[in-house]
Amino acid sequence: MKTRREFLKAVPEVVLAAAGLTVLAKAAAKAAGVGGAEASDTMGRMVADLKRAMAKPADQRRWAMGIDLRKCIGCEACTVACRSENKTGPGVSYRPVLVENTGTFPEVKRTLTPKPCMHCEKPACLAACPEGAIKRTPDGIVYVNYAACKGVRACIPACPYEVPNFDDGGYFTDNTPAVQAYEKAAAYEMGVKLARNKDGKAPMGRTRKCTYCFHRLQSGTLPACTTTCIGHATFFGDLNDTDSLIFELSVSSRMRRLKESEGTRPTTFYLV
Amino acid sequence: MDEKKSEPLACTRKKFLQSAAFLGGSAMLSPIFDRASGLIGEACAAELPGYELNNAANYISSVCLQCNTGCGIKAKIVDGVVVKIDGNPYSPWTMFPHTDYETPLQKTEKLDGAICAKGQAGLQTAYDPYRITKVLKRIGKRGENKWATIPFDKAVDEIVEGGLLFKYVPGEENRQVEGLRSLYALKDPGVAKFMAADAKKVGKKKMTPEKFKKKWREQLSALIDPDKPDLGPKNNQFAFVWGRLKDGRGDMIKRFTGDSFGSVNAHGHTTVCQGSLYFTGKAMSEQWAYDEKENHVKWSGGDKFFWEADDANAEFILYSGVSPMEGNYLSYRAPRISDGVASGRLKFAVVDPRFSNLAAKAWKWVPNKPGSEGALALGLMRWIIENKRYDAAFLSNANKAAAAADKESTWCNASWLVKLDEKGHPGQFLRASEIGVAPEKRTGAGGDYEYESMVVMKGSSAIPCDPYNEKTSVEGDLEFSGIVNGQTVKTAFLLLKESAQEKTLEQWGELCGVSAAVLEELAREFTSHGKKAVADIHRGVSQHTNGYYNCHAMFTLNLLVGNYDHKGGLIKAGTYDFRGDKANGPFNLKNLHTGKQSPFGTPIIRNEKYEESTLFAGYPAKRPWYPLASDIYQEIFPSMGDAYPYPVKAMILYMGSPVYSLPAGHKNIEVLKDPAKLPLFITSDITIGETSMYADYIFPDLTYLERWEFHGSHPTIVQKVMPVRQPVIAPLVETVTVAGREMPIGLESMIIALALKLGLSGFGKYGLDGVDFYHQDDLYLRMVANLAFGEKSDGSASVPDASPEEMELFRQARRHLPKSVFDEARWKKIVGYALWPKVVYVLNRGGRFANSSKDYEGDLASNKYGKLANMYCEKTGTTKDSMTGKKLHGVATYVPAGLDCLGRPLEDSAYPLQLITYRRAQHTKSRTVTNYWLLDVKPDNSFLINPADAGAAGIKDGDLVKVVSASNPEGVWQLTDKWAKPMIGRAELDSGMRPGVVAFSLGMGHWACGAGDVMVNGLTIKGDERRSRGVHANAALRVDPYLKNICLTDSVGASAVFYDTRIRLEKAG
Repeated sequence: MKTRREFLKAVPEVVLAAAGLTVLAKAAAKAAGVGGAEASDTMGRMVADLKRAMAKPADQRRWAMGIDLRKCIGCEACTVACRSENKTGPGVSYRPVLVENTGTFPEVKRTLTPKPCMHCEKPACLAACPEGAIKRTPDGIVYVNYAACKGVRACIPACPYEVPNFDDGGYFTDNTPAVQAYEKAAAYEMGVKLARNKDGKAPMGRTRKCTYCFHRLQSGTLPACTTTCIGHATFFGDLNDTDSLIFELSVSSRMRRLKESEGTRPTTFYLV
Repeated sequence: MDEKKSEPLACTRKKFLQSAAFLGGSAMLSPIFDRASGLIGEACAAELPGYELNNAANYISSVCLQCNTGCGIKAKIVDGVVVKIDGNPYSPWTMFPHTDYETPLQKTEKLDGAICAKGQAGLQTAYDPYRITKVLKRIGKRGENKWATIPFDKAVDEIVEGGLLFKYVPGEENRQVEGLRSLYALKDPGVAKFMAADAKKVGKKKMTPEKFKKKWREQLSALIDPDKPDLGPKNNQFAFVWGRLKDGRGDMIKRFTGDSFGSVNAHGHTTVCQGSLYFTGKAMSEQWAYDEKENHVKWSGGDKFFWEADDANAEFILYSGVSPMEGNYLSYRAPRISDGVASGRLKFAVVDPRFSNLAAKAWKWVPNKPGSEGALALGLMRWIIENKRYDAAFLSNANKAAAAADKESTWCNASWLVKLDEKGHPGQFLRASEIGVAPEKRTGAGGDYEYESMVVMKGSSAIPCDPYNEKTSVEGDLEFSGIVNGQTVKTAFLLLKESAQEKTLEQWGELCGVSAAVLEELAREFTSHGKKAVADIHRGVSQHTNGYYNCHAMFTLNLLVGNYDHKGGLIKAGTYDFRGDKANGPFNLKNLHTGKQSPFGTPIIRNEKYEESTLFAGYPAKRPWYPLASDIYQEIFPSMGDAYPYPVKAMILYMGSPVYSLPAGHKNIEVLKDPAKLPLFITSDITIGETSMYADYIFPDLTYLERWEFHGSHPTIVQKVMPVRQPVIAPLVETVTVAGREMPIGLESMIIALALKLGLSGFGKYGLDGVDFYHQDDLYLRMVANLAFGEKSDGSASVPDASPEEMELFRQARRHLPKSVFDEARWKKIVGYALWPKVVYVLNRGGRFANSSKDYEGDLASNKYGKLANMYCEKTGTTKDSMTGKKLHGVATYVPAGLDCLGRPLEDSAYPLQLITYRRAQHTKSRTVTNYWLLDVKPDNSFLINPADAGAAGIKDGDLVKVVSASNPEGVWQLTDKWAKPMIGRAELDSGMRPGVVAFSLGMGHWACGAGDVMVNGLTIKGDERRSRGVHANAALRVDPYLKNICLTDSVGASAVFYDTRIRLEKAG
């Protein structure tokens, strides 16, 4: 696994969302107070933001995820929640957390960086797939169409963020007294109830990646990583909604995107 | 893609499939995906995607137990299988702010709260392929891991009746095992009560053994030793011991062991966690109160508890030896700390030799020498006192009225006068009668008695002070030293000042390995935020040989700013009553037991005064006595090994693994593997664990997803709460029939069956005082009913009735449960028709939780400690150490860390490094290794070592190294005569370690719990190598050199010591 340093190396540029200047200034002022508005129920606000977003046609919203690195506590609740929600098997992880320690005693630093899919506007994985199996929804979710994916795995080296993983069909409880039923239970990725219980059938033998929990969004619930974020570090919403929390955060001067130079235009961003 | 499985999806999808007329298999997925992604028009989107997990009919709200935090959970179920766990938004643990209790269930179904990685992985604890489902009986030697399944009834029969139970095991052919029936010797509670009083007199030398024996000649055969009647009856030779125990199940065990069987030996595991912290809380909360049994006033009623910081409102926190971003009620604390830092409200320092995730977010990391936490607090106090930066008004308040006048709910005894003996050692407080003020005549439940007040100085006069007087405010001078009516006295505050001035700031700094400048900076910051500054502590402070005094120094630091009960200060937990005590109903459980036993005698852990025992034989005692503590886990097996105070003949161990969890836990094995030392050993466990592998019988238990419990709260939680754990899946263990009723095998069925077989009171026909007690639900549902009814006897504090919609959701969510677990008619009958909808209301919410609007009353927390907090603890100050015979200190005092039970420093200079332990956010001590999702995050652990130390030892990053210490120079776990597991782990160079200190995280390096091979019914079940990865180095932790079979222990607060061992890392392979 790469260290976080390698990931964040190329991030200095601040890219502000394309928004009107007035709105921008207003939101930036508000953003200073975000988190400052403590116990202001950021979860409640994101739930309301989601409701507004889902009332709109898909092509009028633009999903984004923001991760505040000051607030990430490195607990990896998101990593496991995602695994449980999406029934990913061994070797597939949609949301690892990278740990980087620097400095010498006693001047040391630790940076914790959760790394979900960047859901790029110009996804390198999509371009690399020879089968056209990777698609992007009008609201910006980049997903693997398991029906079309043939497990070629061209997307894996193409992604500058090392996001896609190949599902080789194993279970965690292989080689134990019994493979357990929960491992074969269905996930609901992209809204399809699909059990991971047959050799070689989807999603086994496919490349897999984060979908921003599309299926949860569709039914009015925020992504699993976001709801279970103990440090209150993960934010989600519709960038096209200037009243939304995610928009406020996106125009903060602390906003960074990974590897801007790749030209992939990630919608997942960080607050540093 | 399985077409049949897809059927229940929205009808739009079905229609689509028909029109599309695709073939089966994966080819059909393509258009569905496209549509799902929004390409097929918005109209369909609302009906997509058939997501089943945010529907209240498909989850049950319960409580996590992956660690002890107790987060509310939604266990989401499909086809009877828990497939996902998320946080319960009604629980203040998982959502901040949490959802108001009155919110209809349906409105919260789409809302998930936050739980940690362990909680998310919890279903893997229930669905562990290595779980046991039937009773196992040992057919090899202890520890050989050769088992046979045995019918539940037969196991119960053998345990009760005893006999040649292991005649087929070589060496045990003729071993006659005494069953529980022969230990159930004293059966008459009336006799026991009077005998107990006389036995106590014998211990106190107020009655001769001869006189006792004559008086009780008919009963002597029921005693362990008629010449030492204070040891109690033979019933005490049965012990029930537990690791993680919560209420409900705790009530069940205590009812069985004490109230029904009549043994005093029901003991928990507190000292392995944070014993000295709890017993500092107990000492500081002792009150000068009337004791109705003894009919006089004494220091009593101290709560076994502690305080923590109000993270959500504090401005400055000094976290010491605590890591709430990895452990310590993580999910409740971390968001509050995280939000506080992000907003700029909270600034904090972290005192920890290891750079924890909390330290990574700190204003200042203070990497101290382990064990110097008390010295650090004393250093801060010296500066604060000398610079007069303390809250003098708070400290001067000598009683309740004075506190109330300042709008304080608590007060302390800083100004009270303490008498000094001829050597200048402080002892009791000066009593008002000693300045000529006659004690007040009062009448209590036990008759007329005299109430003594204490004394303070005001100017030049000594004045009496009744600590609880609400009308006459008494304030005292803080610094006084002199002679009052012939008695040499000092104020408690002056004693503290002298203690803090014992060393200069530089000297304190040197002891801590921290500069005086840093101490000053911390002290200045601590006293710059009024009452919104707080010192917050946990295991890193308490699990040293000086743990009690470390904790007392830290809590005294809090007294100096008077932050107790303050918003942003120090908080105590508050819970709703579920025993029906406060409302005296609807089911007041303390009254629901006719023929309750009166257990008496010395507990095997000896938490009594040595001097008042017939075993008193001068100093040192054969083994230590701990009159200020209880639940002294590490003493249980070594005491049995030494048969001191007496031999134990049968024991049940519940949800505990002392071998794995205790420091030097390997020494327990020497006792456990020897049937002569512990003739009958039964465990209740979910796997064959590191300790249950030595059992004679293992009863499979229910996991937290299959059982009831009342989880309670923790000191940092400001809300009044009572989370309820309830069955969410059909039990995976065997179902058995007890007295004609079906129930899963588990702790409860084991206890009920044993009690019925023995014919004990309090179980079976009319076991609940006129009501039958045959099934766990008979007890637990009544507890839920009490919780729902509330704490007012007129019912005005009850919860609302569940709406018809909620009643239906309740049923729907339990549609997969068998009738032996959930049966609406049976349940309704137990609690009564009137309370039933209220019970459902509580269960639908996973417990009872106060709304966040009720957290505070002005500047104070709503859940108040609300009484005297002792700066000087008289009870401690008048107690002698049972080994040294020396008097203890009543005020916060510097005591060095790393002493043996005789108070001698350890001579381990050949070992250059100090070993400490820590917990990662992904693991609990002994029980999460079974969770593969957690192992996937990080498959092992390592020895964290500073690069400079590694360099000196020639160790490189990633090298395999073995840990050795003076008491384990081989560096092995000697598990059986033939099996030794070396303590070898990976070295990880980490600049975040204080030089000289090495750390490893707990939870890895298993050899049981599915990690090793076991043989059951002749078949070998291969262990899973993944569970054995990493290293568990507890066996390197120092054995007490005098006692030789136990870890180092704090002689005052009884903590098992994790952090005072010197070690060496040697390259391995």
